[in-house]
Amino acid sequence: MWKLLLPLLALLMLLGASVLSDRPRPRADFTFVNRADVTTLDFAQMSWMQDLRAARIVFEGLTRHNVLTQDFRVDPAVAERWDVSEDKRTYTFHLREGVKWSNGEPVTSEDFRFAWRRLLLPEYAADYTGFFLTIKGAREFLQWRTKALADLAPALSRATREEAALLSDALWKETLNRYDETVGVVAPDSRTLVVTLERPVPYFLDLMAFPVFYPVYPPLVSAHESLNARTGQMVIDPSWTKAPKLIGNGAFVLTDWRFQREMRFERNPHYWDQKNIHVDSISTPSIADENAAVLAFRTGAIDWVSDVTTGYLPEMIEQKLAFLGEHKDEVDKLRAEGWDEHEIARRLPADPRNRLHIAPAFGTYFWNFNCLPTLRDGRPNPLADPRVRRALSLAVDKQGLVDQVRRRLERPTGTLTPPGSIAGYEPPAGLKRDPVEARRLLAEAGYPGGKGFMTIEMLFNKDAGHDLVAQYLAKCWREELGVSCTFRVLELSIARDEIKNANYIMSRGSWFGDFGDPVTFLELNRTGDGNNDRKYANPAYDALLDAAAAETDVAKRFDILTRAETMVVEDECALLPLFHYNNFYLFDAHTVTGITSHPRTVQTPQIVEMLGDGKGAEVPLRMEQKKPRAAGTGGAP
Amino acid sequence: MIPLILRRLAQLPLILGVIFTITLALAWAVPGNPLENPERRPPPEIAAAMKRQYNLDSFWRFYGSYLDSASGVKFVRESLDSQPKSVTNQGTRWVFDLGPSLRHRDRRVNEIIADSLPVSMTLGAAAIVFALIVGVGAGVLGAIRPNGVLDALTLTIALIGISLPSFVIGTVLLLVFAVWLAWLPVGEWGTLRSLILPAITLGLPPAAYIARLTRLGMIEQLSMDYIRTARAKGAPEHVVVLRHALKNAFLPVLSYLGPATAFAMTGSFVVERVFNVPGMGKHFVNGVQNKDLFLIIGVVLVFATLLILMNLLVDVLYRWVDPRIE
Repeated sequence: MWKLLLPLLALLMLLGASVLSDRPRPRADFTFVNRADVTTLDFAQMSWMQDLRAARIVFEGLTRHNVLTQDFRVDPAVAERWDVSEDKRTYTFHLREGVKWSNGEPVTSEDFRFAWRRLLLPEYAADYTGFFLTIKGAREFLQWRTKALADLAPALSRATREEAALLSDALWKETLNRYDETVGVVAPDSRTLVVTLERPVPYFLDLMAFPVFYPVYPPLVSAHESLNARTGQMVIDPSWTKAPKLIGNGAFVLTDWRFQREMRFERNPHYWDQKNIHVDSISTPSIADENAAVLAFRTGAIDWVSDVTTGYLPEMIEQKLAFLGEHKDEVDKLRAEGWDEHEIARRLPADPRNRLHIAPAFGTYFWNFNCLPTLRDGRPNPLADPRVRRALSLAVDKQGLVDQVRRRLERPTGTLTPPGSIAGYEPPAGLKRDPVEARRLLAEAGYPGGKGFMTIEMLFNKDAGHDLVAQYLAKCWREELGVSCTFRVLELSIARDEIKNANYIMSRGSWFGDFGDPVTFLELNRTGDGNNDRKYANPAYDALLDAAAAETDVAKRFDILTRAETMVVEDECALLPLFHYNNFYLFDAHTVTGITSHPRTVQTPQIVEMLGDGKGAEVPLRMEQKKPRAAGTGGAP
Repeated sequence: MIPLILRRLAQLPLILGVIFTITLALAWAVPGNPLENPERRPPPEIAAAMKRQYNLDSFWRFYGSYLDSASGVKFVRESLDSQPKSVTNQGTRWVFDLGPSLRHRDRRVNEIIADSLPVSMTLGAAAIVFALIVGVGAGVLGAIRPNGVLDALTLTIALIGISLPSFVIGTVLLLVFAVWLAWLPVGEWGTLRSLILPAITLGLPPAAYIARLTRLGMIEQLSMDYIRTARAKGAPEHVVVLRHALKNAFLPVLSYLGPATAFAMTGSFVVERVFNVPGMGKHFVNGVQNKDLFLIIGVVLVFATLLILMNLLVDVLYRWVDPRIE
């Protein structure tokens, strides 16, 4: 009999041993669930929102955003000031004295040059390399090394190991020289960085707050870099981004990064701006399941769920609205005073329903029209006619879509750029629903009552409720225009390939902006742009973008861009914008402050002030008031 | 016994080689570019460089280089190589290097598995312990009076255990014990408390299966002549049931236990997701969804190895428990 118990005993021993060796850590001052697991902390590999958010905690750029201002102001950070040349093409940054790495070494302008060079190496293949190509000489440098590596390949395959090492090394030395001599990033001294651009980039200071422009600590990174003699390429050992190796210059230090469990950050004692940091430790446990995140929040283990996506979200929204309805007078008064929704929640009584927060996002949901003259299967494409695209756009009841299908309080829209997200820029009004005009246009294009019009195949990936949106659009077109639709549902990555190759008639799309300028949305429709899934090609549109790029007067430039946007969303209808996304957060506004409701969707967990924890200034952080509508009602806290 | 073990271990690399080839061929055929953030595209020259970097531009180059590093040949070659290495800083050097993850770019597949396999094994062990205790107990109780009330009850529970999907069981357990009663934590890992609910959820289906196996075996054994003899000589009932009958009735359970343990120990996507367990099961699904080639092949190879070893272990145990088996 005892023989039978042996496997059981063995299992029990294994269990005991592993439980004893694997203890969870104590709770951090501020605990939040990121949108998804961080994939990398190497700027040269970054592209996901959760990675960018983690990067902002551990690093800091030349500038940073004040996320609690209405205009999302760009403030000095590592650079304490800067000069811009007359022609707006040369930026001279003066680095703040006493800015240090987390090991106490000073941050120098060379550190930026080193970091930016990595982003321009073809072998690191950075998703955001495109941002660097406005720097003078950057594109040529990238292309030169790409070609040099390709040219070297045959020689390397013939060479012996020693010869190959010498050849790779020689090319690397030449690369370094070339970067120094041709790329417009110069460090005259350790606290000055001079950047020369190909053309004026009005949002350049905003870009400097974007994580891919952050510095790295060169001794750390070069110790993990090595040349691969077989290919001549630089290879990075990714272990440098892990604790305790990682050295940053941000408000917090990464002290632990356990895969799929937790990232933990502790206050960086060498950070220059201690007075604006109000907690000592931040933790981001990794919770993949959307429902588990909400449950963990309810038990108090989590302070902030940064992306609520549960299936019962519409019910949570209804409850929040009911709660706001119960306090209507107070809410109206606070809104009139210009307070944002987070501050309003803080002033209302505590209530479980009051913990859901809805903030506009810097992203737009739309459907692509295939704008090519012929479809991939050789048929002529009726959507190549702008009148047809316009007719389809006019027939859609977007308000009905967001109210009945999405049920997420999203803002129906006719534009690509979310209104109110970029200070000074006014996107066009967009097309209003007009079925009569839609029918007229379709008839004018040769399809009265939808007769003779092909069946529209709608391509989308299977998740995230796109099927419901597709059905709704199909219903609008069938009822208003007599046009019928079929669906083609694919796995996300496969759908992505098909869309990229324009092998579709209509497909779903979305875009989130990266920086505070309309071109972050408008470049999408430039002829030949890598993200121009519609294959929309219009020289007049490109000319407007070019004219805007050459215009140095801010107001005039925005006027030109509004005209460009009007062209793609109203006149030519390259795509069909449906609504702007919302962000959904769970947090108790009475304790957690400093989470912004600004539509730019950049969150900075490092500045959060937890009220009642006895750390920091214990003053609530909140969005600055909008200009009050009535004079003299600016409320005291 | 020793020749058996040696023979099986010698077969292992061959089997793994075949599994690798098939997995790679299937995973390669999945459309989509694993390096691409689906919402955003880099410039074309960058996209091409990214593919080249991981040998994703040629099937045979990928096949060759993966086999080279995963089989340990590269490690041996580089260790024997006295000349300065081309690549000097590669962090930890692994004998069987399963490559980088294409999605989790700061991680090697070896790291990911080293992080998540112990978690899955712990959870799997707990689930199997639970399944054994509950399953064998219920099976024996049911078999003592076949078709009695207790038998009907355990059979019904077993049926529910087999047929209810684990995301339903898991969510209900989580709601009742973690959220409403607040006895157990949510979304935490590393304590004995946090192990209880996922282990029950993961262990319920095998428990039900074991209960049925045990019950059938026990009913069969209890009707055998040697049991009548044992009863006739006046052995107490618990000795008859537990010592004589269970020993023989347990053999089918033992052979089921091998693959069941391997399955439980390599993780379950659903249980890991519901209880937020940082285990290996999710990589089977996420790896395929992200077309993370290195990760897919890595977890499949680890799973295959574990399955083969568990089956070998069961065979060895079998002979040891019952020396009549050859």
